[in-house]
Amino acid sequence: MRRLNLYALTFRLPIIIWQTLFFIGPLIFVVAMSFFVVRNFQMVETFEFDSWKRMLSRDFVWDAYVYTVLMAGSAAILASLIAFPAAYCLAFQTSARTRQIAILLLIIPFFTSYLVRTFSWYTILAEAGVLNGAVGLVGLGPYTLLNTYVGTLIGYLTLVMPLVLILQTVTMANIDDRLIQAARNLGCSPARTIWTVILPAGKTGFVIAALFAFILSFGDFVAPFYLGGSNPPTLPILIIDTTKAGQQWPRAAVVAVIMMVTLFVIAFSAIMYAYRKRASR
Amino acid sequence: MTLFLRTWLCLVAGFIFLPIFVSMLFSFNEARFPTLPLTGFTTGWYEAIFSDPDFWRSAKNSLIVSTTTAVIATFLGFCTAYTDYRYSFRGKSLFLAIILLPPTIPLIIIALAMLAWFSRVGMSGQVVSIIAAHTVLTAPFAMAIIRLRLSQIDESLEAAAWNLGASEWRAMREVILPFCKPAILSSLFLTAAVSFDEFTVSWFVSGLNKTLPVHVLEIVQGTIDPQVNAIGTLVFGVSITLVVISQALIFFRLQKAST
Amino acid sequence: MSDTKFMQTKRGFLKTGLASVALTTPFVNRAWAQTVELTMLGWYGTAEPDMVGEFEEANNVKFVPKYYAGGDNMLAALAQNPPGTFDIIHTDAEYAKLLVANDLVLELDPNDYAFDDLLHDDFKSFAGHWDDSGKLYSLITRFGHLGVSYNKDVLTAEEAASYEVFWDERLTGKVGHFDWHLPTLGQMSLLMGNASPFDIGEDAWKAVQEKTLSLKPQVGGYFDFGGTFAGLKNGEMLAMVGIGDWVTGILERDGAPVSSVVPKEGGIQWTESYSIAKTSEKADLALKYLAYTMSPEGQVKTAQMLGYPGHCVTKAGRALLNEVDAAEAQRSGQVDGDPRDPITLINEGRISYRDIPVQQTLEDWNDFWSEYKNA
Repeated sequence: MRRLNLYALTFRLPIIIWQTLFFIGPLIFVVAMSFFVVRNFQMVETFEFDSWKRMLSRDFVWDAYVYTVLMAGSAAILASLIAFPAAYCLAFQTSARTRQIAILLLIIPFFTSYLVRTFSWYTILAEAGVLNGAVGLVGLGPYTLLNTYVGTLIGYLTLVMPLVLILQTVTMANIDDRLIQAARNLGCSPARTIWTVILPAGKTGFVIAALFAFILSFGDFVAPFYLGGSNPPTLPILIIDTTKAGQQWPRAAVVAVIMMVTLFVIAFSAIMYAYRKRASR
Repeated sequence: MTLFLRTWLCLVAGFIFLPIFVSMLFSFNEARFPTLPLTGFTTGWYEAIFSDPDFWRSAKNSLIVSTTTAVIATFLGFCTAYTDYRYSFRGKSLFLAIILLPPTIPLIIIALAMLAWFSRVGMSGQVVSIIAAHTVLTAPFAMAIIRLRLSQIDESLEAAAWNLGASEWRAMREVILPFCKPAILSSLFLTAAVSFDEFTVSWFVSGLNKTLPVHVLEIVQGTIDPQVNAIGTLVFGVSITLVVISQALIFFRLQKAST
Repeated sequence: MSDTKFMQTKRGFLKTGLASVALTTPFVNRAWAQTVELTMLGWYGTAEPDMVGEFEEANNVKFVPKYYAGGDNMLAALAQNPPGTFDIIHTDAEYAKLLVANDLVLELDPNDYAFDDLLHDDFKSFAGHWDDSGKLYSLITRFGHLGVSYNKDVLTAEEAASYEVFWDERLTGKVGHFDWHLPTLGQMSLLMGNASPFDIGEDAWKAVQEKTLSLKPQVGGYFDFGGTFAGLKNGEMLAMVGIGDWVTGILERDGAPVSSVVPKEGGIQWTESYSIAKTSEKADLALKYLAYTMSPEGQVKTAQMLGYPGHCVTKAGRALLNEVDAAEAQRSGQVDGDPRDPITLINEGRISYRDIPVQQTLEDWNDFWSEYKNA
């Protein structure tokens, strides 16, 4: 083992100091803050369970929790299912060059403001909006899409679809071609090939893609607020309400800690599942 | 089957690009409340934002934040990547975790954490608070890009330099840094672009020093105004330029490296 | 051929480019130059050019706004920014007393302002603007009334003349809320027959909560400032609780079929005031702006404000408004003798001033609001 010298420390210490100050510190502080109390609009640094008791005893917190998990879960599943055929097409039925260009194009949405895209969906989905205007021409509609869970889901999908599509495409493009060829030679139908070869071989990638979709949707406040009309609110909206309208940072911290623990559990299980070797038969 | 898949792919692409397209379209549409049919061509929304001092103020803040963030985040990313490339030590995975974890934590939680923490240490509502937060958010991207580059280096190069009597510092300066230059440049542009677009954390910690995306958020909260589309289109232009430069740098160098 | 054409377009393009750079430079300069800055915490639109532009020009000063919606939101903004961040605080009148109680604002000199010229006696000693010893801390500048806001294509003014209309089955899923507890719960309290809607006992508070919860199946969403406007304008929402002409007035100007009425159960008055932060280093300039808002010219600007309209509080202001913008004065009923004159409504006893809850805490109401949204 090399001796720890000044040179090595130069590359290590700044990271440790910086991340402690601006990442670990704030996160630990949020956990601590969930035990503080607010008196006369002032936060008092103590160790009490007031906020925890209060938040955990409220039905609406649990309702919001269940709703948020369900919606983020649906977004992850839907995004995975919808992206799959498209990714399959990109991975197996296009040239490497087309694929490369497609991935470059798919990066574009990351750099258009998500807010602006949501605002744009608002225009499209409104009752007097672009979509209803279009279907109105053939005598359909108008459909109410805004301020419903459909609106929220569309927002979530806008956020996660490019990422899921990219991850799935890369995953499938990296599957050893010989495996697929072998399956085909053995007379597997395309459906069976997907089921017995592609899904198991790309499991890690698919799970990670879905996991990211879940994480992003779980923490997003824009879609449920602007497209879902906060009806009902999700956990991120609850955090904003309690910090921006109330003064109750400790309670917001409770929600934040609940969210972090949930994410940790889900991410941990997903990763365990993704990397678990298939049991040999 | 193939036809179905192709159609499906086009539909998904349509879903992804429709809002971007619509936003650009309506940034040139006259009506204040965007509906079909289009009401007429105008550049009025662009004129409106260009004559709005608030827009320029936030653009200036965004510029300061994203450039400073890019420099610091790239430095942090480089240090981490180099440490990961060169050393193995106890607690290395913990060390890597503290820099790689931020993107997996919802922005809203980071935002709350930063707000509370900065108020506690008396650093809230300043441009530096946004910068500090953004460096944490973007450093992992810098790390990833630079680490990728380092994995292409011939490990004997650095060792050869030492054998020729160069100090570690000199080897760093004359071997590692030049080799990583394209990745470093690329990382500068990419982290700047990510920071330029971030609004949740900025919204919480910026106080009066709002950035451009926070300005957009305030417009959306305050009025329904196609200015948002115009700003979005402009910001898109800036971000995409940064990204294209960043990609071109990687691509170009990789090509060169492989020949 | 095509080459030259290309060159021409290119040159043309360059020209426009240069021209636009040249055009925008003054604005950039104005925004980036070092001028005196007055920071203001206010409702959306209160520091936009249409309001403060003239004052900025005359005093070589630049307003830097931080916008909020709802008094609780304002308190949070004050708490979350370091002291000294804001010079001027534009506040809902009922929250002014909290500013005074927490010793956040400067004392003002009543002699600086034309209190005799106010349109209503209540405005002269507005609750919470003066402390117990008679010192002035907040300056009343504008007001407006909240009632039932509705889409005229769906409801008639008669139908909208009671809060009960929100339960109409035509409105299922189409009733919107402005996302703030005070206005909505105040209206529900009026509907329950409470004469002082914000000063209610435990039982009455329970009843208000129950009544509010029964509205839930009708609700289409909870909106911020922008969402409220867009929802009504697009027809996403056909009626809105807790707002009034300050929203529909703008949409009316824009040609949307919406309106607001003060229903038979009575309406609620929002009142806005200015205070100066104790930590302000530019109090002199801030004082000057306060005086400006009370001047007839300033009053006209508050009535016409592009962000959202309000009513003048001074006679001189109203007179000037009738002179320079008779249409707006007519539209909003700010004409002496008009049956819709907001001052007449107050005199008829149909208006309750919005207040923070007297027998419960703000937190209780806020809490219930969260519960209602999640119900």
